[in-house]
Amino acid sequence: MLWGVQGISVVVVIMMAPLVLGITQVVKARLQGRRGPSLWWGYWVLAKTWGKETTVPEYSSWIFRVAPSISLAAMILVAGTIPWAGRVPNSWPHDLLTLFFLLALERFWVGLAGLDSAGTFGGLGSSRITTLGAGIEPALFAAFGILWAVSGRTAITPVVGHLSLLPWGMATVSYGLVILAELGRLPIDNVDTHLELTMMHEATVLEYDGRLLAENQAAVAIKYTALLGLGWVWLSPSLASPLLTAVLHIVEIMGTAALVGGIESRFSKLRYFQVPTYLAMASGLGLLAFYLVMTGGFN
Amino acid sequence: MLTYGIVAIGLAASVAAFNRVLSQYLMLGLSIGVLALAVIGLWDFRSIHLWTPYFQMTPLRAWFLLVVGIVSTMAAWYRVGYQQHNQVFTGFWLPWFVLAMAAVILSQTVWVFMTAWEVMAATSFLLVVSHHEEPGVIKAGYIYLVMSQISAMAILAGLLLMAASLHSMNFALWAAKARFLPWETKSGVFALLTLGFAIKCGIIPFHVWLPRAHPVAPAPVSSLMSGAMIKLGVFGIVQFLLMDLGATALLWPIVLLVLGAVSSLLGVLYALMEHDLKRLLAYHSIENIGIIFLGLGVMGVGIDLHHPQIAVVGLVASLFHTLNHALFKSQLFLAAGAVEQHTGTLDAEHLGGLIRTIPGVALGFLLGSMAISALPPFNGFVSEWLTFRGLLSLATGFHGLWAASALGLALVLATTSALAGMCFVKASGVTFLGQPRQRVAQVPLGRSITAPILGLALISLALGVFPEPVVRVIGSIDPTTSYHAVSLLLPIKTTLIAVLLGIAVVALVLLARPSQARTVPRWACGGDATPAMQFSSSSMTKAIRTTFAVIYRPHRQLSRIGENSRDFPERLVYKGGTTPTWERYLYRPGYQMAWWLSKSTARIQAGPVRLYLTYLLVAVGMMLLVLH
Repeated sequence: MLWGVQGISVVVVIMMAPLVLGITQVVKARLQGRRGPSLWWGYWVLAKTWGKETTVPEYSSWIFRVAPSISLAAMILVAGTIPWAGRVPNSWPHDLLTLFFLLALERFWVGLAGLDSAGTFGGLGSSRITTLGAGIEPALFAAFGILWAVSGRTAITPVVGHLSLLPWGMATVSYGLVILAELGRLPIDNVDTHLELTMMHEATVLEYDGRLLAENQAAVAIKYTALLGLGWVWLSPSLASPLLTAVLHIVEIMGTAALVGGIESRFSKLRYFQVPTYLAMASGLGLLAFYLVMTGGFN
Repeated sequence: MLTYGIVAIGLAASVAAFNRVLSQYLMLGLSIGVLALAVIGLWDFRSIHLWTPYFQMTPLRAWFLLVVGIVSTMAAWYRVGYQQHNQVFTGFWLPWFVLAMAAVILSQTVWVFMTAWEVMAATSFLLVVSHHEEPGVIKAGYIYLVMSQISAMAILAGLLLMAASLHSMNFALWAAKARFLPWETKSGVFALLTLGFAIKCGIIPFHVWLPRAHPVAPAPVSSLMSGAMIKLGVFGIVQFLLMDLGATALLWPIVLLVLGAVSSLLGVLYALMEHDLKRLLAYHSIENIGIIFLGLGVMGVGIDLHHPQIAVVGLVASLFHTLNHALFKSQLFLAAGAVEQHTGTLDAEHLGGLIRTIPGVALGFLLGSMAISALPPFNGFVSEWLTFRGLLSLATGFHGLWAASALGLALVLATTSALAGMCFVKASGVTFLGQPRQRVAQVPLGRSITAPILGLALISLALGVFPEPVVRVIGSIDPTTSYHAVSLLLPIKTTLIAVLLGIAVVALVLLARPSQARTVPRWACGGDATPAMQFSSSSMTKAIRTTFAVIYRPHRQLSRIGENSRDFPERLVYKGGTTPTWERYLYRPGYQMAWWLSKSTARIQAGPVRLYLTYLLVAVGMMLLVLH
C-alpha cells in the first residue's frame, strides 16, 4: 500500500510539475492585470523546446552536454526522496541530508555548465548561483531545526503534533524564505527577466537550446514542485490514510503555487548584496525555533 | 618477514635513486608493501609481529597505515610518468619519508615515536625544497621547518609529561593506565599534544606553512604530505588523547570542535581567494582537517559524557573522512601536478579549456572536485553525512544554548561544504572549461600520469557507493564500544541512490542526444567574442569577497598609465588582493618579538672572557646564597 502510494505520488508530482509552474504564472498575470497564459502553458513550452534543434556554443565540452541530464536526474531523485504520504517503507530512501546534497549536486553541475559555455553570462550566472548556494545550504539546515529537535534523526517526517504553534510558525516562515531563494523566485531572483543585471539561473542556461534546454526547464519545474511539496510534507499534519495524505499534499502544492504567484506580484527584487541578510534572517528564525523546542518551554 | 622486506626495499630504493627507473619501481614496491601490511593488519592485527617492544600493530594503526599505503602507492605510480628537476634528490629522500611515516604509526615507545617523527619532519622538509634552485622555495621550506620543529617540541613535552606521570615510556602501558590520571595532568597533556598535532595538521591559526610548502613541492610530494603526513596529527590525537586518556574535562573536546569549525570555515574562505591551483588545494586541506576535527570533537564529547553512540559516530566520521580526504586530495594534487607539467603554470587566471587537451586529467580533477564537495554518490558525501549526524546528535543530546551552539557548528559545516562546492566549480571550471585565457605550452602527458589519478577517483566512487564495509572496519577499531556502527548508515542507502542516479543520467543523456547538437558561436551581445569576456577565478568570487570583507579586508588599486594619464590613460593597471591577516597580526609581531629577544640577549653575550667569568662568579655566589 505504502509502496504503491509513494510510487504513484512521485510519478504524479513529476508529471504535474509544468502545471504547477503554470498556476503560478497565471495567478501572477491575473494579479498584475494581464490575461496571462493558459494553465497548461508549462507543457506547451516544454514540448516546443523539445522539438527545436539542439545547439551548443563553441568551446563547450561534454560537461555542457551532460549537465542538464544530471540536474534533471538529481531533481527526479529529490522528488522521489520525499515521503509524499507522510511516511514511507523503511527501505525507501527518505533522508533529508541526501536531499540537500542532491540539490548541491544540481547546483554544482549548473555552475560548471555555465562556465563551460565560455561566455560572460554563463560565468555570471554560475558565480551568482554558487554564491547564493553558500547562504542557502546552512539556511535550509537551520530551517529544519525543529525537525532535528523533534525527531533527533535525519529522516523526513511530519513534525506536527509534537509542537506548539510558535516554533511551528517560525519554522514555516523560515522554510518559506529559504525555498524562495533556492527556487530562484522573487524577492531573490526573477524567473521572467532576461536582463543581464538581474538574472541568475537563467544566465547559466542562456546558451542552451532544444532538448538540453527542455531538460533544464523540466529540472526547474520538478524542483519547484518538489520543494513546495516538501514544506507540506513535514510541516502539515498527515491523515490516517496514506492515499488521502498524498492527495492532500498535491492539492496543497497547487495552492502554494498560487500563493507564490501572489508573493511575486507583491514584492520586488532584493539587491543582490542584501540577500545574505535575508538568508541570515531565515537561518536565525530557524535556529530560534530549534532553541525554543530544545528549551522545552513550548511543546 | 614482510616488514624486513619493506625496510630492505625502502633502503634499496633510496640507494638506487641514481637509476631513475629502478628507484621508481622499488619505491612502488615499498608502497605496495606498506599497503599489504596495512591490509593484513586490518584483517587480523594480532598476526603481525613486529620488533617488540618498539613497534606494535593495532587496528587504529593499521587504518592509518592504509592511508599512507594507498597515497604512496598512487604517488609512486604517478612518478613513473612525472618529469621534474632534481629527480635523484627526490628519489633518494622519498623512501625515507614513507618509511618514517610508517614508523611513526607503528611505534610503541616515546623514543621511537619522536625519532621517527623527526625523521619524517626532516625528510619532508628536504622533499619540499626539492626544487631549491628556484626562488622562494628555500624560504617556504624554512617556514615549514620552523613550524614543524615547534610542533615536535610541543609533542615531545606532552609525551614526556605523560611518561613522567605514568613512569613508563611504553604506549601499551599508556593505553591501559592513562585513563586513571588526574584531570590536571590530562589537561596539560591535552593542551601540549593538541598544540603539537594541530600545527602538523595545519589547523588555523597554525596553518601558515601549508599554503607555502605545498605549491613549491613536486606534485607526488604534495600529494603525500597533504594526503598522508598531515593525517598523522589526526592519528596522534585519536591514539593519545581520545583513546588513551579517555574522559577529560569537557573543555578539551569543545576546543577540538572550535578549532575544527574555525579551520573548516576559514580554510575554505581562504581557498576561494586563491588562483594558484596548489595553494587552493592546500587551503582545502586545512578545511578538510577542520571537518575531521569536528568529528574528533564529537567523539571526545561522547567519551566525556559516557555516551558510546555519539563517540562511535564521531570516530567513524573522522576516520572515514581521513581516508576519503587522503584519496581525493592526493588525486587533486596529482591532477594539479599534471596541469603544471602540461602547461608550465598553475595560475588559473592563465588557463582554460584544458579539457580538450588533457581530457583524462580533467575528468580526474572533476571527479575529485565532486568527491571533495561531498556530492553523492562519492565518498566525501558519506563521511560528511556522518559528521553532520554526529553534530546533530550533539545538538539533540543537550539542552538550551548548548544545543543551539551544536546546531551552529552544523550550520558552519553546511556553509563550508557549500563554499567548497563553489570553490571547486571555480577551480575546475576556470582551469579546464571554456576557452583558453592565454596561450600556454601544451606538453603531451603519458598514460602513467593519468592512470593513478583516475584510479584514485575509482576508489573514491567505490567507497561512496559501498560505504558499509568501511564503516564496519572502522567501527571495530575502538574495542570499548559495542555499538553497531553500520546501523548508523542505514538511512542513506547510498548504493540505491547511486544506481538510480546512474540509470537516470544515462537514460536522460540518451534521450537528449547531445552528440547531434550543432555547434554555434556563443552569445556576445552582438560583439566579437573574446577569451577575456569569460569569468575569471577572481570575478567568480567577487560577491564572496564583498560579503566576507571583514575577514578578507580586500584592497584594490587602479593605476592609470601614460601621458595625461588622469583623463586619457593609455593603459589601466588593476591590482587587487586580500590582506594576509594571520601573517600580519600574529606571525609578524611574533617574529619581530623573537628577533628583538635574541638581539637583547646578544648584548649580555658580547664575547669578552672577563664578562663570562663575572657571570660565573655571580651565579656561583647566588647559588651559595640560596643553598645556604
